[in-house]
Amino acid sequence: MRRLPVYLLLDTSGSMRGEPIEAVKVGLDAMVASLRQDPFALESVHISIITFDKDVKQIMPLTELESMQIPDIQTPESGPTHLGMALELLCQKVDAEVQLSTPERKGDWMPLLFIMTDGKPSDVQLYNQMIPEVKKRHFGSIIACAAGVKADTKPLELLTSQVYSLDTTDSTTFKQFFKWVSASVSVGNRSIGAADEIVLPPPPPEVHNII
Amino acid sequence: MANTVKIKATDGSDVEFVDTVIGAGGMKDVYFSPDKSHVVAFFRDRQDFNAKDRLQNITGVYREKIFNQIGGEYWKDLYCWPTKIVEHNGKLGLVCPTYHKHFFFSTGSINNDFLGIKGKEKEGKWYASAKNQNKFLDPKERGDWFKYFQICINISRAVRRLHAAGLAHSDLSYKNVLLDPTSGKASIIDIDGLVVPGKYPPDVLGTPDFIAPEVIATKHLKMGDAARQLPKITTDRHALAVMIYMYLLYRHPLRGGKVWDTDPAKDEDLSMGAKALFVEHPTDTANRVKVKDLQPSQLPQGDPTKIPYSVCGPYLKKLFDSAFIDGLHNPAARPTADEWEQALLKTVDLMQPCQNPSCWHKWFVFDNTAKPKCPFCGAEYHGQLPVLNLYSSRRAGTFTPDDYRLMVFSEQGLYQWHVNRNISPNEKLTAEQKKRAGYFLFHNNKWLLVNERLNDLEDKTEGKKILIGQFVELTDGKQILLSKEDGGRLIIVQLVANKR
Repeated sequence: MRRLPVYLLLDTSGSMRGEPIEAVKVGLDAMVASLRQDPFALESVHISIITFDKDVKQIMPLTELESMQIPDIQTPESGPTHLGMALELLCQKVDAEVQLSTPERKGDWMPLLFIMTDGKPSDVQLYNQMIPEVKKRHFGSIIACAAGVKADTKPLELLTSQVYSLDTTDSTTFKQFFKWVSASVSVGNRSIGAADEIVLPPPPPEVHNII
Repeated sequence: MANTVKIKATDGSDVEFVDTVIGAGGMKDVYFSPDKSHVVAFFRDRQDFNAKDRLQNITGVYREKIFNQIGGEYWKDLYCWPTKIVEHNGKLGLVCPTYHKHFFFSTGSINNDFLGIKGKEKEGKWYASAKNQNKFLDPKERGDWFKYFQICINISRAVRRLHAAGLAHSDLSYKNVLLDPTSGKASIIDIDGLVVPGKYPPDVLGTPDFIAPEVIATKHLKMGDAARQLPKITTDRHALAVMIYMYLLYRHPLRGGKVWDTDPAKDEDLSMGAKALFVEHPTDTANRVKVKDLQPSQLPQGDPTKIPYSVCGPYLKKLFDSAFIDGLHNPAARPTADEWEQALLKTVDLMQPCQNPSCWHKWFVFDNTAKPKCPFCGAEYHGQLPVLNLYSSRRAGTFTPDDYRLMVFSEQGLYQWHVNRNISPNEKLTAEQKKRAGYFLFHNNKWLLVNERLNDLEDKTEGKKILIGQFVELTDGKQILLSKEDGGRLIIVQLVANKR
């Protein structure tokens, strides 16, 4: 049975401290709870969480839904947003964790990548170097979400055409965002339209597609 | 308290709903009527003329065709059929009966419902997967194997009726069929996408796992291209066959180990489309399941060498062969829903309760051997097992075999469809025909048939009439006449004895 690997890259820099990060945690919990009620997701979805601030950590390796326990997410007082480093770690983890198909064995589905940030990468040079590396990993789709007024969408647009901008960093917004992530992840058991294939459900109303 | 909205349906009748969304599907938002007997589902997007016309026909003429006939009541349990169209604030909506209570989980998953699914709809995917069955579902929700046969009979019957009316469902899938393995009931939902051949084009290709190979293999072609294949009655037949295979065997008939392309998306298209190959094909072994690649929670059901499809008995094996060998790439060769219904009904009469109280399946299909054994838990059947071979008369005085056997177990019933060749167990049965005609009992080490309402019952071997209330003992080779009417049957008893 093919697994569907889902990587979540979450910004934990100083500006996320307090209410925003609490809202993210609530959103994550709700997402996992709703995916667990989906028999299709339960068979295939595996999730990994990578956080980035001045340090980059994979706080949860690729884990099947039923045994997932979301670890506590810490945010430092202040400091840079090392999204470039996060992409570097992501590439290492994808190489190690995602099983590619071989002529003898079916591998995983193409992984999905969701990035949520409320700022912009501080390590611009590394970030730009990592973009072609990420593209080489053949993600099924990459969805970037810029939350709050200070988020810069420009660097994200270099990585993916699917960049969405969230107006605020409150709980409703993140709840919507994770609801949408879970809807995107469980799209596999939906009816397929006769005209065109729609890979993702329409984004929630709070999200503005800026391209 | 939310407001109750009162509107008029397009047929002029009153419709009420409580202004709180109770659920949201892919295309619709759903509201309850105040008494919760109905739901009103509004399409979020504007519906074009074709869609409106289709809905008008589905709630009108097609509905009447099926429900307003003798036996029409019967279908109310088998479909959740929209009854009215409404328009409110520029949105089009449908009024449908609420799903019956047994289609919602009453206990849900194990460990005090750790998944939080109690109260949710019983989607088919929970049951069609070995992993979900073995690892998550509360045993109280799982039912036994016999119930899955009842479910498959109900689904086949509902699909048969649609097809008889010239309609194709076009998207039969786990999502669109609710089932209840605790009672054996099933109901087809999302009827609003029905395809009338030649009239409305389908809006969906179907749901992965159930889309027919020819539809997948031609989906890259433009709409309107003559070679492009879209959902129709023959693709419903594929979906039905896949569904029956999955509900009885808890694995997919085409998902084997063969890698057609190292790109998973292309591999999926090939293995479900142009290159689709039955995992249990008798001669082409290319797509055999690789057991070492399965997760432990998928076993033993996931391994066809442990539980081959032949455990479903000879009648179903033949249809699976037609569906997945002859008919996989030849839609015309696929079994009809009616054939599935008949074969499932005949198979049910071959079933025996497993004597092992901890057997997961609890039932198995008699394997035609002198030493019957449950293929799931391996327990052998001990004791005397009566097998009744049914014969019927096409010419006065001679009886020919019907290729129909009835396995006997204690307290099993004998019904009119066993008694008379011209009666089938379906929606056309009268209340009188549904009543039990007799029953079997293992009493004082003897197998007995007790007559409840058969006027002509006669022990032909002894030449003795068996009156209502009396019984006849089943002994090896005994001939018993059940009815003298046209189509009436004679049974010849075979006793299989497997001593401890």
